[in-house]
Amino acid sequence: MTEILALDGLVKRFGSRTILDGISLNVSAGEIVCFVGPSGTGKSTLLRCINGLEDIQGGRISFEGQAVQGNPSAIRAVRKRVGMIFQHFNLYPHLTALQNVMLAPVVVHKEAKAEVEARARALFDKVRLAHRINAYPAEMSGGEQQRVAIARALCTNPHLLMFDEPTSALDPETVGDVLTVMRDLALEGRTMLVVTHEIRFAADVGTRMVFMDQCRIVEQGDPRAMVAGAQTERARKFLGTIHG
Amino acid sequence: MMQYWPLMLKSAGTTLWLSWLAMLLGALGGTALALLRQIRFAPLRWVVIGYMEFFRSIPILIVLFFAFYGVPLLLEVDISPFVAATLALALHASATMSEVVSAGIASVGRGQWEAAAAAGFSWPQTMRHIIAPQALRVILPPSVGVFITTLKESSLASIIGYIELTRTGLLVRDSTGGGFLPLLALGAVYFVINYAISQVGAALERRLHIGRRSDLVGAMA
Ligand SMILES: Nc1ncnc2c1ncn2[C@@H]1O[C@H](COP(=O)(O)OP(=O)(O)OP(=O)(O)O)[C@@H](O)[C@H]1O
Ligand SMILES: [Mg+2]
Repeated sequence: MTEILALDGLVKRFGSRTILDGISLNVSAGEIVCFVGPSGTGKSTLLRCINGLEDIQGGRISFEGQAVQGNPSAIRAVRKRVGMIFQHFNLYPHLTALQNVMLAPVVVHKEAKAEVEARARALFDKVRLAHRINAYPAEMSGGEQQRVAIARALCTNPHLLMFDEPTSALDPETVGDVLTVMRDLALEGRTMLVVTHEIRFAADVGTRMVFMDQCRIVEQGDPRAMVAGAQTERARKFLGTIHG
Repeated sequence: MMQYWPLMLKSAGTTLWLSWLAMLLGALGGTALALLRQIRFAPLRWVVIGYMEFFRSIPILIVLFFAFYGVPLLLEVDISPFVAATLALALHASATMSEVVSAGIASVGRGQWEAAAAAGFSWPQTMRHIIAPQALRVILPPSVGVFITTLKESSLASIIGYIELTRTGLLVRDSTGGGFLPLLALGAVYFVINYAISQVGAALERRLHIGRRSDLVGAMA
């Protein structure tokens, strides 16, 4: 399998506080890696380091063989190939759903409008929102906004998708719609990093589970096996509490 | 009195032109200052803040005198009352506008910058396509107020001998025997102009969907 992402001894500090303390991880094409762990252990920060939203204080990140840190043009090149989905969607409120999806391909990737629009419309079918194409974000439910955000990320043909708690800000009844779309993406063989508290989703869809606690990766492995019984005490305890 | 109306209206046009030009320059300058403030380089920020505080604290009349009497002495160039007035009003407006534009940019949530950065937008692309359109909704209403203030302040140009609306009104009053009526007419013309400006501003705001729910979401995201 071709390797997409390699983290080697990643260290992240905010001031004197260490947030990530030597994270090493390799992700191959088609993997769906689910990150779980207590609040404040640096899961979001880890994703943000990968696409250069945060600088790092040690270690190395390479994406498709290219070093990410330090070099602004390398960081931009990586961002063009990595789609990110945020907990609070972060759609552009002044644009319609369709315009949201089309903006980056047209402006950043300099693609022809007509081509982008055709692809965008197909993506709205995929996320089951063809009827909401001209709605503004404020007119949509959270679940709808998150699916637009997924379509927005997909429209740039990313090689990696990163989800940071994509369903945590949603009403319970719309969580399922978003998870269904994510399942479809998994079936297509997309490479995904997913920070989530949805353990059931991680067990069903994930190809790997990474349990993080106190700035480190404590345990990783097959999601089903880990949910059934993790090796480490800390992971077992955490998965037990969250699984209910 | 009636025979002076064309004169009054013509000078109303002069006042509008002077204030519009000053406002345009002030808005451009204010935007440039606000963008400079975005740059994370402390000395640059101090310069911008110093400029703003300076022009906010100095009476505009003194800026006007400085432009009209001071600049020619310093630079050895002749400066017309029109240029001096435009310059003084624009300097003053730019200080206020930089505050207004900064507040507009600040009103756009951090999540918008992050979404743009994550998607690979450069800083100018982010500004142009994502931040500016949202900031504009916040910037427009106070800008209309700045324009009206500038227009009222432009009456000070009469002091350095520029024949704009106020000066014309006072001249008319002199040549009609110093009555109360010309002053009333003068006030009425200012009122009509400024009222029209705020109406146009309100229409523009509606066009930009100000007050939609989407503004709340944008601020939160
Ligand atoms: N910009 C920042 N400046 C300082 N500290 C920060 C910053 N961003 C995050 N942190 C700190 O880093 C730690 C890890 O944060 P992070 O958001 O990555 O955790 P998380 O695992 O995603 O938690 P959660 O499950 O609550 O989302 C937290 O203690 C947080 O306070
Ligand atoms: Mg988080």
